[in-house]
Amino acid sequence: MLEKIKRISAKRKMRKNGSNLVLLGIISVVIAITTTSVSLAIYHNSGDIYLDRSRPGFLPDENENQGDDDGEPEYTFSKTGKITIGDLEEYLENLEVDVRAIDSYEDPFSEDALSDEYLGISVEE
Amino acid sequence: MLFCQALPVSAVSKEQEAKIVEGCSGIQDNLKNLQRADAKARVYLGGYYETILSKFITPLNVRVVENNLSNAGLVENQNNFADTRTLFSNDFIAYQQELEDLVGIDCKSEPGDFYEQLVKVRKKRKVVEQDVLKMRGLISGHINLVNKLKGKL
Repeated sequence: MLEKIKRISAKRKMRKNGSNLVLLGIISVVIAITTTSVSLAIYHNSGDIYLDRSRPGFLPDENENQGDDDGEPEYTFSKTGKITIGDLEEYLENLEVDVRAIDSYEDPFSEDALSDEYLGISVEE
Repeated sequence: MLFCQALPVSAVSKEQEAKIVEGCSGIQDNLKNLQRADAKARVYLGGYYETILSKFITPLNVRVVENNLSNAGLVENQNNFADTRTLFSNDFIAYQQELEDLVGIDCKSEPGDFYEQLVKVRKKRKVVEQDVLKMRGLISGHINLVNKLKGKL
């Protein structure tokens, strides 16, 4: 009799442990879905999504990655020391390289890309 | 008394609506390509703005202070540069949000709403373009100030 009670008790315990495990799994999945959704909402609403080029469809082209690292150390103006004319000439020379790179990007955000003509929806008067 | 009702700027004619419906898929493709091109432009320009601020303007101003040289214009320029850079980033986000809304509108079934949103996107894009021009002006201003500083040495 005692053996039978022990067996029933052990079975019940096993069943309870099994259902606890299922419950734990469900709770884990719900927590994961909730936190992921909240993260994605923050990512989208903060606008970070629009600054992120690692998202699918916005990855940099292969040729964009080339040329950045030409082995030469990047110029940084030193924060210390006496300022000489030579320092400022070197400064302007190096700054000019970046300015030229900025100027080489033709008409960023120009109106033309969204004009009626460009989109093919202009109506001739 | 003569009453005349002006049409809103975004008013779209029936003929134009027809063109939007007809060329809808091509327009959508153009807009998606524009989204990608703009993201590239922002990263490209934003990277250079960051470099100029952190590797040129800020260290120069620190050194100018250390050397007890007059730096009023340089500091003001640095502050304007940093503020406009932040503005550029925020305005770009606002523009992209409107552009995404535009891409989300079905131009085949809602050409009127599509055109109305297109007008909004154009305005936001104009703001970003002005930020870029302002940044370029600030860089030129900085170069002039450095040349003046060079003349004083």
